[in-house]
Amino acid sequence: MSSTSALATNSVEQLVTTWIVSGRDEDIAAAVTEVSEGRLLAVVKALGPYLTSEQDELRTKGVDFLATVIGRCPANTLSRQSVKVLAAFFCDKLDDTETIIPGLKGLLSLPSICSSVDAENVPSVFAHVRMRALVQSVRFSVFSIIDGLITHHRETLKGMKSEFIRPYINLAEGEKDPRNLLVAFGIARVILIEFDAGEHIEALSNILFCYFPITFRPPPNDPYGITSDDLRVVLRRCLSAHSGFGPIAIPIFLEKIAAGSPQIKRDTLQTMAECFPVYGPALARINARKLWNALKLEIFQPTDSLTEEEALSTVRVLVVTIHSEDAQDEDVQGLARDACEECIGILREPEKSQAKPAIKVLCTFMASTPSVARYTLANAVPHLLKLFADPREVPARTSVLLLLSDLIAAARNSSQMHITESMPETSSPLAAPPLAPFKDEVLGALISGVATLATARAALAGLTGLVSTPHLLSDAELGFIVLKVNEVLEKCYDEDHSDDSNAILKLLMTISSLSPMHVRDQTLPFLFKSLPLSPLPRDNLVARTRCQHVLTALGTLCGPPPLFAALVTEFSPRIVTIAFSPSDDDPELLAAFLHALLSVMKRVLVGKVDDSHDDVAGYIDTLVQALYGLCVRAALQGGPAREPRVIDVAGVIIGLVVQRLPLPFVLSCVLIALAHLLFPAFLSGKISLLCSDEHVTAEDRFATQTSSCIQAEATTHERNLFVLFEAGIVPLEPKASSLKHLASSTLICYSKVIIDVDINTCAECILVQGLAHADNARQAEAIFRIVGCIVNKHVENLGPFLEHKKTAYWSEEIMSRTATPGRRRQATRVWTWICKGLLVRNHPLALEFIHRLFDVFEDETIGTDAAKAFGDIAESDGVLTKRNSAVVKFLWAQKFATGILPRLMSGAKDDSNSVLQHANLVALTALIKVIPNTSYAHEMTQLMPLLMRALQIPDAEIRASVIETLLAAVTQQKSTHDVLAEHAPALVRQMLGYTKSSGAIRISALRYLSVLPAVVRYDVLHPCKADVLRELSEALDDPKRSVRREAVDAREVWFKYSG
Amino acid sequence: MAVEIFNPNPTVFAPVKPSKSSKAASLWLTDADDTDANAENTNDAPEPIDQEEIFDLIRSIYDPEHPNTLEELRVVSAPQITVDGNRVNVEFTPTVPHCGMSTLIGLSIRVRLLRALPNRFKIDISLKPGSHQSEMAVNKQLNDKERVAAALENPALLQTVEQTLANAYRRGEPAED
Repeated sequence: MSSTSALATNSVEQLVTTWIVSGRDEDIAAAVTEVSEGRLLAVVKALGPYLTSEQDELRTKGVDFLATVIGRCPANTLSRQSVKVLAAFFCDKLDDTETIIPGLKGLLSLPSICSSVDAENVPSVFAHVRMRALVQSVRFSVFSIIDGLITHHRETLKGMKSEFIRPYINLAEGEKDPRNLLVAFGIARVILIEFDAGEHIEALSNILFCYFPITFRPPPNDPYGITSDDLRVVLRRCLSAHSGFGPIAIPIFLEKIAAGSPQIKRDTLQTMAECFPVYGPALARINARKLWNALKLEIFQPTDSLTEEEALSTVRVLVVTIHSEDAQDEDVQGLARDACEECIGILREPEKSQAKPAIKVLCTFMASTPSVARYTLANAVPHLLKLFADPREVPARTSVLLLLSDLIAAARNSSQMHITESMPETSSPLAAPPLAPFKDEVLGALISGVATLATARAALAGLTGLVSTPHLLSDAELGFIVLKVNEVLEKCYDEDHSDDSNAILKLLMTISSLSPMHVRDQTLPFLFKSLPLSPLPRDNLVARTRCQHVLTALGTLCGPPPLFAALVTEFSPRIVTIAFSPSDDDPELLAAFLHALLSVMKRVLVGKVDDSHDDVAGYIDTLVQALYGLCVRAALQGGPAREPRVIDVAGVIIGLVVQRLPLPFVLSCVLIALAHLLFPAFLSGKISLLCSDEHVTAEDRFATQTSSCIQAEATTHERNLFVLFEAGIVPLEPKASSLKHLASSTLICYSKVIIDVDINTCAECILVQGLAHADNARQAEAIFRIVGCIVNKHVENLGPFLEHKKTAYWSEEIMSRTATPGRRRQATRVWTWICKGLLVRNHPLALEFIHRLFDVFEDETIGTDAAKAFGDIAESDGVLTKRNSAVVKFLWAQKFATGILPRLMSGAKDDSNSVLQHANLVALTALIKVIPNTSYAHEMTQLMPLLMRALQIPDAEIRASVIETLLAAVTQQKSTHDVLAEHAPALVRQMLGYTKSSGAIRISALRYLSVLPAVVRYDVLHPCKADVLRELSEALDDPKRSVRREAVDAREVWFKYSG
Repeated sequence: MAVEIFNPNPTVFAPVKPSKSSKAASLWLTDADDTDANAENTNDAPEPIDQEEIFDLIRSIYDPEHPNTLEELRVVSAPQITVDGNRVNVEFTPTVPHCGMSTLIGLSIRVRLLRALPNRFKIDISLKPGSHQSEMAVNKQLNDKERVAAALENPALLQTVEQTLANAYRRGEPAED
């Protein structure tokens, strides 16, 4: 037994000796094991000679070893007794300058087992540590020890009272390092809040207020990452920790706010706002006047808008602090009253610039306590109303109403704030809004203001505020407002003040979101009445402008379901009348008018679909059928509805309604029925099935009697209807349009209808027949889209179709040089759409199809088309979208771009074949224009030279897209700026060249020039500055106003650009 | 910090509506977003620099004393600008007859126009007759090439001018929120 312990002692001694010499980590780990196994004594014994050594270095090392070992031991290994002994030992070591660091380390690492031990140690820490003699890191451990003590032994330290606080203050005094201060401020806050600090307030204020305001500025590349804001926040929490600071703090605040820089002012204002509630209402009341005078200066003569905002919120806190006790009293005394009177005094001259800050102060009061809010309103509103009524103040009415509307908005916000602040259960949400007592007078003033042109806009702002205040106006009053506003709107149209009419429409929209009936029953009839029944003659410009304004108003207002219903009811007969009016002296006028009416419906529908209104689907039976009927009848018999633009807009409307058809069972029969009708209607001449029978009877057929509108015999007008086929097909749910399902039931329902049962044949038929006879670009485009859509939704059933495309179609239509160029281009477009349909759903075939395009890059006829196709493939469009029920995979474009970019880039760099290189470059520019720039940001270093070269390609479209890409890169990617600097001078020269060219490229080049200085270091572009300024002065004289505007802005930026 | 404020509480006027180029109403109703592109391509007639355009250039210059624009204080207005061939005359009205900032305002207007108008223009800047105590002196100062050039050599002055021009690009449009 004794031999083993002797052995152990020997090994421990060995351990210690080797560590002193080598400082190896393993020795410490071994010693930790020894201590954990209960042999602390052996370790201490072995250390003995070092702990008491005469040599400074050895002593330091000895204590350090012990401290490190203790620090690594698990918390429960040391007994209470040994902790006590160790603590006493480390404390002893504190007065030795050589061992103070390891001594502190040891104390810090001692497990806090018994509070009494630590409490005993505290005085010795204070007694032995002379902070000023120590370096930062040691001082930091001192603060950390005290912080640890406070965390673990708060009660004991509290018991020590002054014995702890006073020495601590001495210890903390004069600390300058921000790292230590962060800890020290934390300690101070605890002392202030939890300890009985009353008698030490002054001493504590000495070690805290000397830091206020924080002016510390972190050095560049500060490894500790302490910002001045960190310190500010912590210090602020100290200053606001004890109410005793109040009398000391306020003079300091006042001094700093008057003399400081904007930053210090803001800091002081924020600190004040945090401190006032703690310092209490009594103190705030005594100093109210002084504080208000100081704050007023920051509001009425603000240094900048941020400071002004801070000052306003500080005023709010001050008022809340002072008046929190009398929150429900009716009579307000003190600051709020005085300040309010002062502001109202300023408001006697409402047109002057000081009125604005005055009203801001009053609005701030509205957001304080309910009693102050009531008081403010009770004084300010009658004052403003009196001014408004005063005949001598007529020129100032606009200003008065603007001030009033600010106040109304503040009253609205305050009532909402009070409701959300208090518990929704306890306070009645129906409590009268603060403005209620003045409702009638205010409404009267605003209504009379709205009737006069000069004050109309200000009054409208006020009315919007009133209307949007909950529970303020009754339904009848809303109706009254609508009535009055209608009169003004009419005047607006007669006298052409479109700006006012926009404000009116905004107000009406606010009203209709609350109660749409008033707008429906009063405004809409008036608007309908002002619309002519037949198109206006070409030369009547005034009336036509007015009519367009009315249409815009209808398009803006009719979003809510009841209003849209009214719109459709009103427009449907009008549209029919126009479409089939017998007189056709000027068919374009009729078509344009028809188009205008339909566009309004389209515009409303777009908004409704965006907001997911449920009533849209309901128009499938009425509106969609009517539109199909209208266009088909026109195609067969003639009329303005033949016009392609009319068909286009009708198609958009149909598409929007079909999009919103609900999938689940209830209405899905409608959906399937529609799907059933679409194919036979367009492909087998059963068009009447789709149309309302008012226009098209069952006997009506396409010219070819039995066949479809895509066959050779069909007229151009009939083929134009293909757009409507597209409109119905594209948004259809795949399940509904699945032909297999469809065909069988179709055969049952309409036994005479013969359509191709197989979807492959059907798609092929649409494609081949449709394209063979398509006689304008729009028809062809419709066919491309339909094919793309079918491929996307039914790819699993399209095996043979795609196989045919891969083999025969590719070699005969695209590769074959015998086909006409037009035909080959068309085939390339088809190919593009097939690729797109596949790619959007990440189908495995997609890449195979897309890579085929590389094979025709060298072709002189379609090479460029194939290259540009890369852009079309990756571009997100309105066809293959989730809304249209297409199969869209997440991030498909990004994945595609990441995959294909390296190949395009290496192709564009490879200069062995210039044709190939050119095609790759075109494909690259087309692609990166349409993909989100995050997906190529990492390649920017290599892309830049390629883009520079692409700028040389003599193709305006490519140049424009390159500049667009560069602009996007500059504005959104910070990481590319270094790359940019390298090419900046060359880019500047290039862009300057473009400013002298023609077309829209001038504007983009100028925009690019104006963003460059913001992102490129001045020294890089300094040599260009003079040239740029000189050459831009030529652009200042450009014949086009929009170009001059950009030139002025760009030149201004370059004037300010300096090192 | 300004030592003396010449007019601490000037009258603020509602801004005139931002000027829009009047477009002839087209027969076909177009969506708002593609009208610009169409107008750009279809209309090739030159649009000469006019009164409105010059007013747009200077309306959003800040007053050196107040956080208001020259337009809001009615220091400048469109009718006070005349364009005749290559001559531009800009007249402005100080808010008070003893306004010591008039020269600075005039200088700001001149700097803005020097930068924003083509070289072919000869620009005259003058106070509205009878609106200022030392009208002649200010006018002379503002139209003396040498003195303007000398003033712009002064870095402190140039910085003040730059500050007043900071938002000139807004051209009467309100600040975006």
